[in-house]
This record gives sequence, C-alpha cells and structure tokens, in this order.
Amino acid sequence: MSLSLSARICLLLGLILVLMAIANSALTTADLQILAVGGLPRIIVSLLAGGGLALAGSIMQQALRNPLATPTTLGVVSGAQFALLAATLLAPGLLVIGREWVALGGGAFAMGTVVLLAWSSRLAPMAVILAGLIVNLYLGSLSIVMLLIHQEDLNGILIWGAGSLAQSGWDGVGFLWPRLLLIAPLAVVLARPLDVLSLGDTQARSLGISLHHIRLAALGTALFLTACITSVVGVVGFIGLAAPAAARLLGARGFMKIASCSVLIGALLLVVIDIILQALSASAPVLIPTGAMTAVLGGPLLLWLLFRLKITGKSLRQSCLALVPARHLALKRTLLLLALLATVTMSLGTGRAIEGWRWFDLGHAATMLEWRLPRILAAGGAGTVLALAGVMVQRLTQNPMASPELLGISGGAALGLVSALFLLQGATMPTLIAAGFLGALAGIAVVIALNRGSGFNPQRLLLTGVAVTATASGIQALLLAGGDPRGQQAIAWMSGSTYYVDFGTALAITIVAIIALVITPFFARWLDLLPLGRATAVGLGLDVERSRLVLLLLVALLTATATLIVGPLSFVGLLAPHMARTLGFSRARSHLLGAAAVGSALMILADWIGRQALYPQEIPAGLVASLIGGLYFIIGMRRLL
Amino acid sequence: MTVIHRALLAVLLILWLKVPLAEEPPLRIVTPDWTIAETLLALDIEPLGVGEIAGYRTWVGTPSMPDSVTDIGLRTQPNLELLAQLRPDRILLTPMFRSLERPLSRIAPVEVIGHRTDLSAWKAVVEQTQAIGHLTNRREAAAALIRSTEQHITSLRSQIGDPGKPLLIVQFMDAVHARVFGMESLYGSVLTQLGLRNAWSGRTNAWGFALIGLQELAAIDGRLIVVAPTPIGSDITATDLWQRLPSVERDEVLWLPAAWSFGALPSARRFADILVDAL
Repeated sequence: MSLSLSARICLLLGLILVLMAIANSALTTADLQILAVGGLPRIIVSLLAGGGLALAGSIMQQALRNPLATPTTLGVVSGAQFALLAATLLAPGLLVIGREWVALGGGAFAMGTVVLLAWSSRLAPMAVILAGLIVNLYLGSLSIVMLLIHQEDLNGILIWGAGSLAQSGWDGVGFLWPRLLLIAPLAVVLARPLDVLSLGDTQARSLGISLHHIRLAALGTALFLTACITSVVGVVGFIGLAAPAAARLLGARGFMKIASCSVLIGALLLVVIDIILQALSASAPVLIPTGAMTAVLGGPLLLWLLFRLKITGKSLRQSCLALVPARHLALKRTLLLLALLATVTMSLGTGRAIEGWRWFDLGHAATMLEWRLPRILAAGGAGTVLALAGVMVQRLTQNPMASPELLGISGGAALGLVSALFLLQGATMPTLIAAGFLGALAGIAVVIALNRGSGFNPQRLLLTGVAVTATASGIQALLLAGGDPRGQQAIAWMSGSTYYVDFGTALAITIVAIIALVITPFFARWLDLLPLGRATAVGLGLDVERSRLVLLLLVALLTATATLIVGPLSFVGLLAPHMARTLGFSRARSHLLGAAAVGSALMILADWIGRQALYPQEIPAGLVASLIGGLYFIIGMRRLL
Repeated sequence: MTVIHRALLAVLLILWLKVPLAEEPPLRIVTPDWTIAETLLALDIEPLGVGEIAGYRTWVGTPSMPDSVTDIGLRTQPNLELLAQLRPDRILLTPMFRSLERPLSRIAPVEVIGHRTDLSAWKAVVEQTQAIGHLTNRREAAAALIRSTEQHITSLRSQIGDPGKPLLIVQFMDAVHARVFGMESLYGSVLTQLGLRNAWSGRTNAWGFALIGLQELAAIDGRLIVVAPTPIGSDITATDLWQRLPSVERDEVLWLPAAWSFGALPSARRFADILVDAL
C-alpha cells in the first residue's frame, strides 16, 4: 500500500525519535540488565498498546461511522476500571485468575450498555457519544463510592486508572503480542464489509449485508483488543481518537489504509509521549502517568476535531415532545406535590442515631431542625435548580439525553476546586467555593466562546461539553494517582454532598431555587419553540441565537450554584426532566414545574438514603442520586431515545 | 453583679481550689484523624469518637483502639448528627481537613493542630504532640511521651549491627510502582534517629515520599526494606525486574509488618521496633 509522502516523513521522524530514546535510556541506566527487563519492555509495550488502541479506535469509528468513537468514549475503559476496583475489594481471588478477564467483563458490560442505550436510535453517532458519556459518568460515580470508603486499599488502582506504562519484565509484552496477532487477521476479514458500511446504512442494506451483525462483530473485536491492553497498561485515552484522525488528515482513505496507517501513528505517538513524560517525571516529586496525560491532551484534540469534521446525526427532536398523552395532569400534579411532601416529612422525622432508628421522635426536634432541615433545604433547592437547568438544556439542544453536567460547567467547577485543594495548603471552605465557582465560569466560558461562531449549534454544544469534561477528568486522575492524602478530600467533594451546608447556605440555595422557579416560566415560549428546530423557530419569529445564548447563561448560573453545593456528579438534571416528560408534562411551563418537583424530591430522598445506608458513614447525595438514576436508566432504557 | 453573686463566685472559687486537679473531668475529645487519635491514646486519653475505626485497626493498629470509642464515620466527612449526639467538648483536626472546621465548629470548639510542613518531619510530630498535650492538660505526659520515644529509639542504636548499605524504604502500590520514603517522612526521621543512612535522597512530596517506578528503584544501590501491606492481587516478587534488583540479587531484602506512614510518635516507635527487630 502506498502512503503519501508526508505520512512517510512523519513515520521516519517518529522512528528516529524512538531510536534516540532507546539510546538515551541505555545511557542513563548504567545496568544493561535492568534496561533489558525494565526500559526495553516498556518501549515495546508502548508500541503494542499504542498500535492496538489505534486499531481499536479505527475499527470503532468505522463500525459506528463516528469519528469520535473510541474505547474511552464508548465506556469500555471506565467499565474495565470499575470491574477491577470492585474485584480488588470484593473478590481479590478473581485478580489472581486474571486481571484481563475482569477488565474484559467490565468493559463488555459498559459497552453493551452504551450500545443498548443507543440501539433504538440505530446507533446514531450523537446518541452513541452521549450514551457513552453517561455510562462513563455513572461508572465513575460508582468507583468514587468505593474510593471514598476504602481509599487506603485502592491506591494501586488509582495508579492503574491513570495509565502507567512502567513494566517490570517481559510479562506484559508476552501477554499482548499473541493477542494482537490474533486480532490483526480478524481486522482484515472485517475490513471489506466495514468499507461498505462507510457508504451509509441504506446503500449497505441494498447490497444485502446485515449491518448490525457486522457492526457488533467489529465492536466485539475492538472491545477485546481494548480490554487486553487496558488490563496491562491501565487507562490510556486519546490514542484511539488521535491516531485514526491523524491518518485521515495525512490522506489515508478506505478502512485498510486508515487502520494500518493509524496503527503506526498510534504506536509512535504513545512511545514518544511516554518518553517525554518519563524525562519530565524524573524531576517532579510525583509520577506523571502517561494515560492521564494523554487524556488531558485528548480534550483539546477532541475540540479541534469537532470543528474540522462534520458530525452527521439526525435530530432527536421528536422524543423531546410528548411521549405520553397529557391526561389527568391536575391529578398528577397533586400526587407529585404529595410525594414531595412525604419525602420531606420522612427525611426530617426519621433517621439513625447511636442507639438505633428514631421515628418522628419529637424529643429530638432540635436535632431535626438544626441538622436535618438545612440539608433538606439544600438538597431540595439544588434538585430544583438542576432540574430546571436540565429542562432548558434538553429543550435547547433538542436532545433528551443532554444534561447540564455535560456542558463543561461541572467539569470546570471540579477542576477549580481540586486545583485549589492541591495548590493552596490548608484551604478553607470559602476559598474552595470561590475556586469552584471560578472553575465553573471558566468551563462555560470555553464552551460559549467555542460555539459562538456556529450560533450555538446544539450537537456541537454538547460535544464541546464532552471535551471539556474529558480534560477535567484526565487532570483529576493525574492528581489522584500521586497518592497525596489530600486526594481523599478531593474525592469527598467531587462526589457531591450537602455536608458543608449550614443555615446560611441552605437559605441562599432555597432563595436561588425560588427565584429560578419564578423566572424560568417567562422563557416558556422560547422553550416551546426551540425544540421544533431552527427553521420552524425562526419562522415563528424567534431570534434563535440570542435565545440560545440567554438560556445557556441562565443554565450556567443555575448549574454552577447547584454544583457548588451537591458536587459535579448528579444525574438529577438529566433524570428529572425525563421523568417529568414521561409523566406527561410536555409543554414547557408544566415541564419546568414538574421537573422541579421531581428533582427536589429525588435529591432529598438521595440525601436521606445517603445519610442512613452506611451510618455512621455518609454517602454523598450526588452519588446516591446517580445510583438511583442508573436504575431508572436500566429500567427505562428502551423508551429513552 | 450583686453581692450574692460575688459571694457565690467566691465560694465556687474556694471549692475549685480545694478540688485536686486529677478529679477535673477530662475533656471529651473527638477527632476524625488517625494520627491525632494514636497520640491521644498514647497519652492515655480515650477519645469519645474517631473516624473509620475499622481502618484505624488495619492501618495504624497500635496503640489499640478501645471498643468503647464511637465510630464517627468517614475521616473526610464525619457524621454531624452523630457528633451532635455525642456532645464532645473539643474537636481536633489536622490542617489537611481544615475545610471541616466550619461545619464542625457548630458542634464544639475546633482546634486545628500541626503538622507543620515548614519543620522537619520529626520536629513537626514532636510539636504536634506538645500541642495535643497542651490542649488536653497533659503537658507532662506529652513531654514524657516525646522523651521516652526518643530515648527508646536512641537505645535501639546499640542493638543494630552494620546494615551494610544505606536503607531504601518502600511500600508497594502495585507490581511496578512503589512509594519510596525520604528524609522528611516519618520513616526517614526514624532512620536518622537510629543513626542509619537513607538511600533515597531524591525528590519527595509534602509527606516526604515519592511515587516511583520499579525501574528507577533498580538504579539505586541500597538495602531494600519493604513495608506491608503489599498490593492485593499481584505478586511483586514474580517479575523479572524484581529479580534484578540489587538487594534481591544479594538476598538481603527485609519485609516489615505495617506501620502507619503518616503517623505520630507511637507509629514512629513501632516502626523503629520492627525495623531493628528485622535487622
């Protein structure tokens, strides 16, 4: 096969770099024996892992006709990480049998969930990416619950989670090469039908090829590849995205050319990044794991690709509108309010104490008022605010799987707070809150700045958020891998809790929630028109760009406020609007109010469960909410899209 | 203030002076932090509540935690409602968890105690112990604890033979990564007190350790001391690189049971004991 001239020059340059690196590490390590079992296998594992991940990425991208599909964005990697965490704590025996099988099981489960979630929209690129992100966030929050409670046991997994290529012998190489050799012919067999796939669904079907079967076979191959590599080197993002993209930019066309070219590029890329980081790491007190660093680099790359490549995907607007006939709305409204009231009463009146459960014990009314009321107010307020923001985001982006967390706001807030925690020794709460707020503003500023030009195109808006979130989570993995005890505090906050709330903050968030409840219905007309699509909305006299910007700013303000109180990881902004719609609240005004009621009840319930389930240990409300949300997703999966 | 009040006060003052100091009710102290908890126990003060007690028993161990101490939940977020029910007189925190100061001060006065990072590791631990002694009215006990620990460690010097090489103290995180403890860690300062040399003079973080790969470890010529626990699910001695480590080739690796690496004087004493025992 012939590569273009520029591609050959690039490859040549890369090879020279690798040779230089080998020479360099041979010079710095006096002992050649150590080099033979440490340095050399590391370089070869990097080559194999880089090439393998690039191949997996290009298979996935071809199979889903989605330039953003990678092992990371499809949830495979976080599934594998979650499975390893769980196995370490619950069944260490499994790890002795084989880490790769544990990783494979977790990865398969995660990708299976993504595929199922996006199945009913025929695996449209946009749906797949969002489903992947939701699965990533969900598994991430489950992992955080375990980290929160068993931090000391899991330091090793944190290093693995940040992707380190360090080797202590030839075991890793010996494990990887036969498996890669097995996959390569399979990829060749799949190559022809995959090329047909790129013609598009209708053409492929007219050629008599069963699309879904080929897709699943291809995805399965990529999954196996990723799980093998991940179990050896840990979480390494970015390569699966970057290498195929670079191959395409260098002029490779057709699956075979793209795949073979990206294998070479991926292998070289990972080796070069790893060598540079090793050199940097030598002068820093912390290890700089290559995987997390690639994830940090991956965010900006994702953004850049976003603005070069056309994202094809049908609009999902139908499902934003009525799914359920709007009957008995008055009755439903009353029931919803009663449910909210019951949740508040239970949360206020019951709870565990040292001697056991207390049921509406009025002798302890002071406890209820002093310790429970602020948390109930804060949870309810944050739930309301997030639900309102969620309704606006879903209507604005015409996408029922959009959520305020996906706009980069939460990622920004988490990043600001974590940096303050690590950079400022012994930071107090007000400092941390200020840092979080600045981070949130920075996150949304990036998203707005990057989307101004396109008039806030909904799909692009969401993908920008995905990129910002990816960068933020890379930086978090980087910080946690170092084993610094401050990581615990970061984890505790990131999981989102009403813990720090006192009466002042509770009152503040309640007031914000009430103001939001009063203000948002004024935007009902915009919110009714925007889901109809740009053309219709303009036709009905709406200034689409202006209304999108205003709504986006409102969403940013609301989300940032709520994030500071319940952390970045709650799914209320995704769930509440969806539940409200399922109940039949489909006009903007009733959708807003219905979602607010559902959101506040959900958050109050989550906060209560979190305080009781593992008493005296507290599980943050945000985590419990996302666990409840996960259940809802699995049950309601088929109706979701 | 009326005359009666003054008279009452005078009576109280006389009563107070008459009561011997020992019968003054001890402060009811709560701390989420294990390091403060171990110092309290070493000073013979039983805290009312400590965070994650099961974890304390696994990772710190000695001094042993009495069953009567209440578990107050996560160290990062101790249970507020439970603390309110316990009604402590004082809550002790380390600066690392300063963000807890505000919520916890709604329950009882909060004291944030040392560990100052601008001091050497040993000085910081000593100062922290003095501060705790001051707060709990056990200045003498604290001074005695400091003295006895230092004397004990110094007295161990005579029992040590020549270890040969400088010591390289590591704790494995997985099969390829380990924390290596420098001069400014608790382990490192015990080495100094014992008159032993530390083989790691490289970079360390605020807690005196660095996370490094096994390959970097292989480049250092020192006698390897591996502190438990070793990671679950991976056999660190099975790898080729392990077999090539200078200490492994000379067959002089020492395996030590766990001692809390972020601990205070009791942990230091324990580490000194098990190290000297192994040497």
